[in-house]
Amino acid sequence: MPIVEPSLVEVQRTEKLALDGIDVSGDWNTFLRSRVHTDLDLKVLEWVQSQPQGETISRCWQCGTCTAGCCMHTDFGLEEFNPRYFIYLAQIGYDEELRKYVDTIWRCVSCNKCVERCPKGVKVEEVVHTIGTYLEVTGIAKESPADRFDRAYTENLLRRGVLDEAALFRTYERLEGRKTPTRELLRLGLSMLLSGRLHTGPLAHRARGWGRMKPVLTRLMTEDLRRRRDSATGPGAVASPGRRP
Amino acid sequence: MSASRGPADEVPAYYPGCSLDGLGKAYEVSCQWVLRRLGLSLDRIVDYNCCGATEVKNLSQEVSVVLPARNLALARGMGRHQVVAACNGCVYSLTRANDALSDEPTRGRINDHLTAGGSPRYDGGASVQHVLEFIHNRAGPERVRHSVKRPLAGLTVAPYYGCLYSRPKRYTGVGLTPGTDDPEHPEFLDELLTACGATVLTDYSAKTICCGGGHALSDLDVSVAFSASVMNEAKRAGADLVATICPLGQINIENNLDRIRQTYGTEAILPVAYFTQLMALALGASVKEARLKDNFSRPDLFLRGRGFP
Ligand code: SF4
Ligand code: SF4
Repeated sequence: MPIVEPSLVEVQRTEKLALDGIDVSGDWNTFLRSRVHTDLDLKVLEWVQSQPQGETISRCWQCGTCTAGCCMHTDFGLEEFNPRYFIYLAQIGYDEELRKYVDTIWRCVSCNKCVERCPKGVKVEEVVHTIGTYLEVTGIAKESPADRFDRAYTENLLRRGVLDEAALFRTYERLEGRKTPTRELLRLGLSMLLSGRLHTGPLAHRARGWGRMKPVLTRLMTEDLRRRRDSATGPGAVASPGRRP
Repeated sequence: MSASRGPADEVPAYYPGCSLDGLGKAYEVSCQWVLRRLGLSLDRIVDYNCCGATEVKNLSQEVSVVLPARNLALARGMGRHQVVAACNGCVYSLTRANDALSDEPTRGRINDHLTAGGSPRYDGGASVQHVLEFIHNRAGPERVRHSVKRPLAGLTVAPYYGCLYSRPKRYTGVGLTPGTDDPEHPEFLDELLTACGATVLTDYSAKTICCGGGHALSDLDVSVAFSASVMNEAKRAGADLVATICPLGQINIENNLDRIRQTYGTEAILPVAYFTQLMALALGASVKEARLKDNFSRPDLFLRGRGFP
């Protein structure tokens, strides 16, 4: 594949060069440093592919449409956030390069512009998340703020079947070690309560019949989490039963 | 995804989702107001549960399909073929579940989980649409125009759709299902607000950008920057107000107001309102009835200043 990682690109730059009085300074030549990969391991690709959220990864033909419109890459301007490249690295099994993006990859905001546009039907957003999950479950990356939020969100909704928004806010603030001043919280809370928007604690909504659903979902969640950890870290990738043919 | 929307005159099941029963109450109230005035009705799914939005799928595929499937099963249990949701995140997860459940082995497994949890089974057949699409398809700009009591004349509105309203098409079924809006350049909201007498900025550049709501709490730099863009771009195009169609978008943008003010200055702030609040106003509701005071960006003050009672 003709695509290389940015660290191998070397640009010959001339700062001040004039020819016949015309300023021609700038980038002149681009070189690619040659390299030989010996540390490729397809485990990451196999694992991502074995997950129902990641199974479309092999369809990618590296057109770059996803990155061109990606709101983190283009609008927010975080150049190193490059879904096409993350997929490439996973496809060739280049863990060593992938690990440079542990602080970047979790920042996908799930806008799904990439999924909308991908000409090959890759579920890019889910694939990117799955690559991020691989990095996390194998211990290459630490749990990210987004992972913590997903966890807090899921635990919160499983409790009663309906989200307790205020409790989620409090839990997440605690997880991140942040603290909104109590006075502000009270002011906000009171106005929400008076306008009937605050359903927390004893006032929280609950889905009737949740008592039976909850243990089933809790078990499924535990099983899925265990399975994905074992299959990524155990000997050889184990195909998830959630995988579609 | 489904190629059919069931009988055209069916009263669809209504999936409120957690937001409309919580922080998005103004959306719920104004929505019901608009539906009533336009002679449309929806039947609430009573014991609905949270759909899992975009978060749960990052932890467990099974749970991320069971959650929405239970709601779709309840809707089918009410005899309905259509489900209407008012939140883009809910539309996403409900349509995503339909896509996953088009696979037979998956459907079998998910139904086992549903049965074990005391929920009815779901064998497909509930087509999902956004309430904006529902109003547009059932009432249409023409009926809205005839029902307007107090045109939004003189108001320039930026129509903000955000993400996940009609994209990704592989889930929402755009192109396969009639009555779906364009995923890249939607126009249903433009048409409805124009019918209400507003000047609508159809070419508004931030129309379908992300507000950062998915990371509203976990990545503040991003959610503040995107929320600011939604308002800045509207301001640049000459808008008085931004109209939203998603509670997560509305709440995220408004939750960031102080931080936007600190970073970009007070000039960057515009009043933001649910599209149903603006429609309700045009259809005869007062500022109070449309609950415009609920919004932190205080569109109530602005609209009262423009002579709305
Ligand atoms: S748009 Fe699709 S095919 Fe193109 S690079 Fe991205 S994932 Fe690959
Ligand atoms: S969903 Fe994520 S990867 Fe895709 S365009 Fe949006 S931010 Fe980029």
